[in-house]
Amino acid sequence: MQISNQLEKLLAKVQKPGRYVGGEQNSIIKDKTKVKTRFAFCFPDTYEIGMSHLGMKILYGLLNEREDIWCERVFAPWVDMEKLMRENHLLLYGLESGDPICDFDFVGFTLQYELSFTNVLNMLELGGVPIRNDQRGENDPIVVAGGPCTCNPEPLADFVDIFFLGAGEEVDLEVIDLYQKCREEGKSRKEFLRLAAQIEGVYVPSLYQVKYHEDGTIESVTSTDGAPATIRKRVILDLDKAYYPKSFVVPFLDIVHDRAVAEVFRGCIRGCRFCQAGFIYRPVIEKSVETVSRQCRDLCASTGYNEVSLSSLSTSDYSKINELLDELLTWSKDDMVNVSLPSLRVDGFSTELTDKIKTVRKSGLTFAPEAGTQRLRDVINKNVHEDELMKTMDIAFGAGWSRVKLYFMIGLPTETDEDVTGITRLGQSVVDAYYNCATRPKGQSVSVTVSAAAFVPKPFTPFQWEPQDTMEEFQRKQHLLKSSITTRKLTVNYHAADTSFVEAVFARGDRKLCAAMEEAWKRGFHFDGWDDCFSLEKWMEVFEAVGIDPAFYAKRRRSFDEVLPWDHLDYGIQKKFLIEECKKAYEAATTPNCREKCSACGAACFKGGICVEKRPSVV
Amino acid sequence: MKNVRVWFEKKNTARYISHLDLNRCMSRAFQKTKLPLWHTQGFHPHIFLTITMPLSLGMSGLRESMDIRLIEEISNEEIIEKLNGALPLDIRVYDVTEPVMRPSEVAFASYEIDYEPENASAEEAKAKLEELLTREEILVTKHTKKGPKEFDIRPYFQDMQLYIREDGHLTASHRLPISVNGGVNPTLLRDAAARYLDLDLFEHITRTCLYNEKMEIFQ
Repeated sequence: MQISNQLEKLLAKVQKPGRYVGGEQNSIIKDKTKVKTRFAFCFPDTYEIGMSHLGMKILYGLLNEREDIWCERVFAPWVDMEKLMRENHLLLYGLESGDPICDFDFVGFTLQYELSFTNVLNMLELGGVPIRNDQRGENDPIVVAGGPCTCNPEPLADFVDIFFLGAGEEVDLEVIDLYQKCREEGKSRKEFLRLAAQIEGVYVPSLYQVKYHEDGTIESVTSTDGAPATIRKRVILDLDKAYYPKSFVVPFLDIVHDRAVAEVFRGCIRGCRFCQAGFIYRPVIEKSVETVSRQCRDLCASTGYNEVSLSSLSTSDYSKINELLDELLTWSKDDMVNVSLPSLRVDGFSTELTDKIKTVRKSGLTFAPEAGTQRLRDVINKNVHEDELMKTMDIAFGAGWSRVKLYFMIGLPTETDEDVTGITRLGQSVVDAYYNCATRPKGQSVSVTVSAAAFVPKPFTPFQWEPQDTMEEFQRKQHLLKSSITTRKLTVNYHAADTSFVEAVFARGDRKLCAAMEEAWKRGFHFDGWDDCFSLEKWMEVFEAVGIDPAFYAKRRRSFDEVLPWDHLDYGIQKKFLIEECKKAYEAATTPNCREKCSACGAACFKGGICVEKRPSVV
Repeated sequence: MKNVRVWFEKKNTARYISHLDLNRCMSRAFQKTKLPLWHTQGFHPHIFLTITMPLSLGMSGLRESMDIRLIEEISNEEIIEKLNGALPLDIRVYDVTEPVMRPSEVAFASYEIDYEPENASAEEAKAKLEELLTREEILVTKHTKKGPKEFDIRPYFQDMQLYIREDGHLTASHRLPISVNGGVNPTLLRDAAARYLDLDLFEHITRTCLYNEKMEIFQ
């Protein structure tokens, strides 16, 4: 984009002006007079975080493949820039053209995290777009949103015109095609939305009416105007044929994940009971070794990246992981490209694997046992045993690692004090494993960091009916954790539970929370996921101002027969399966993973992926 | 093995690429071109490249340069073409030469400065600045590694000539000391104008050339 004099003056006063100018390698510039539809892809967080997001890269490439569509990138300006933009009446703009987002046909958000919701409203306002969907007229953009949080988008129901459920690659284009057709035929915004609601995976919240019982729980959700009673998410069944970008925009700034990324599969075979992603992305669908290797190679060639990361929810669960690494090694060495694996499971770490990726720098290793005792790990269906962790640590220490990070949660259902202190006990065992490892790095000390996050119950998980721990209980457990450390080789990190509480409110919120969102927006809330900006006290004032009791959402145990705010959204997973899983959790009974045995969760309705594959046990 | 100096412009959006980020951006561009470049031979080999002199964030540069080491003979035209194909549009390579001087010999830089007074006309600003430059001492706060320091810029700016261009803009061309250990930044005059004259200047700065101690053009 051409930088205006006005913008240049602001850029001289902000930190990291590179966030606001575009111009990166592989960013796509089109002639706006020659495109039919302009799409502003908004990431409701900073440039560095948004530019690391794979979904944005896929959809940016996909939309821009079409000659008649121009997709641009928009990020939330950091607080210094926002202040200057407001003072100087500069509207939030797309990084490719510099045009304000109110000039676009579509303004699309990706909802990755509940605490970014305030940024969605703030960005709409900064871009000159009316924030409520009932305030927008024929000339305003259509505001759409996708991403994991659309599995319960109710707290944003008053603001967004269309939610996309599930994979976006096909449904985005179908909706844009419909929009172009409606434009040509002179149809109104309302007619377009009514027709869009007929497309699978499209949820138009304004076409649904919610009735409440006197106690505040939901009585019913009714569709109007011919919209379907339930909306089923979209799934891409063949990832080898699905669109994948051949190039990424390469930022100048140092961003969070600055490397080429290939997605090796979607979904997760595991079904850990706290994990929303493990349920809403079912069924597991894998890419072939050839496709992943080709995509990695194309990306490295077009970007100049010398690191490629194999991404998924749990990459060591890729059924042909060793075959894939062998294939990548046939060219990566000559091209001086390193391969990195995030998301390794404790039981997926082998000598064979570390030998193949040993070109990667030995920074810290991270594993997530999630709970401190076997009983609690069984409750959450983590299916990781302590002896597996110790075996893995022995391999890692023997291969030269000496820094380990372990992730846990506190506040999980059925948790006792023994489970909490079990976290430090497990950390201590890892320290001991280091000194028992004969081939450990000589002359080095071990450093084990244990991080304990506050558990947030999420929709579409077996824990969706569970109350979150109270703030006092979290604080007590954090103190207990800290006081149970007996060695300086072990560091315990935890974070104030304040943000987790607000996250829990919105994660399982209903439409009544739209009033709180709007009030928070009026009070200038933004970047709630950042400690610099978040204030629980201010949030409590907002809830009070609109007469909402946040504990109703975060701390209340729901009954299995309560109508949940997201019950009209169909992610394939059946409620009766989640109820069974919840009951099994209380018995500390585990469920086998999808590859071992089908547990009939309901995702087979999509007729693809692992649900239709032959399992080794069956063959 | 042959050392070559690559000359390029850095303008518009590329002005906001910091020195460190520029290094990375260039390495990636070379990685894409697959030009036969020498890599460092350490545990983590990377492309050997040295950017002559960092350019402050926000400034344009017309005659920027970096040194690389080729391990095979390759034409200058090919280097220019391949690099331009791999770099963002606001960085353009226009020449490749054999290095004549060492980067450590750089002693001065010349700048074109376009001033936009925010609270005065160009004529008023010109008169005020000219008066300022006649004073005995012009102190500004310089932020050094050891903390803020009072610094007299008069010796460096006293002979600066200001002009009003045909389009009404206030401009200056000026040479100031620069070296790998620091130098005198042209923005210091803006700080002085704010401090002594209550004059708010917005400026567009372009670094046009580098020189050695003898005022010979850096080549």
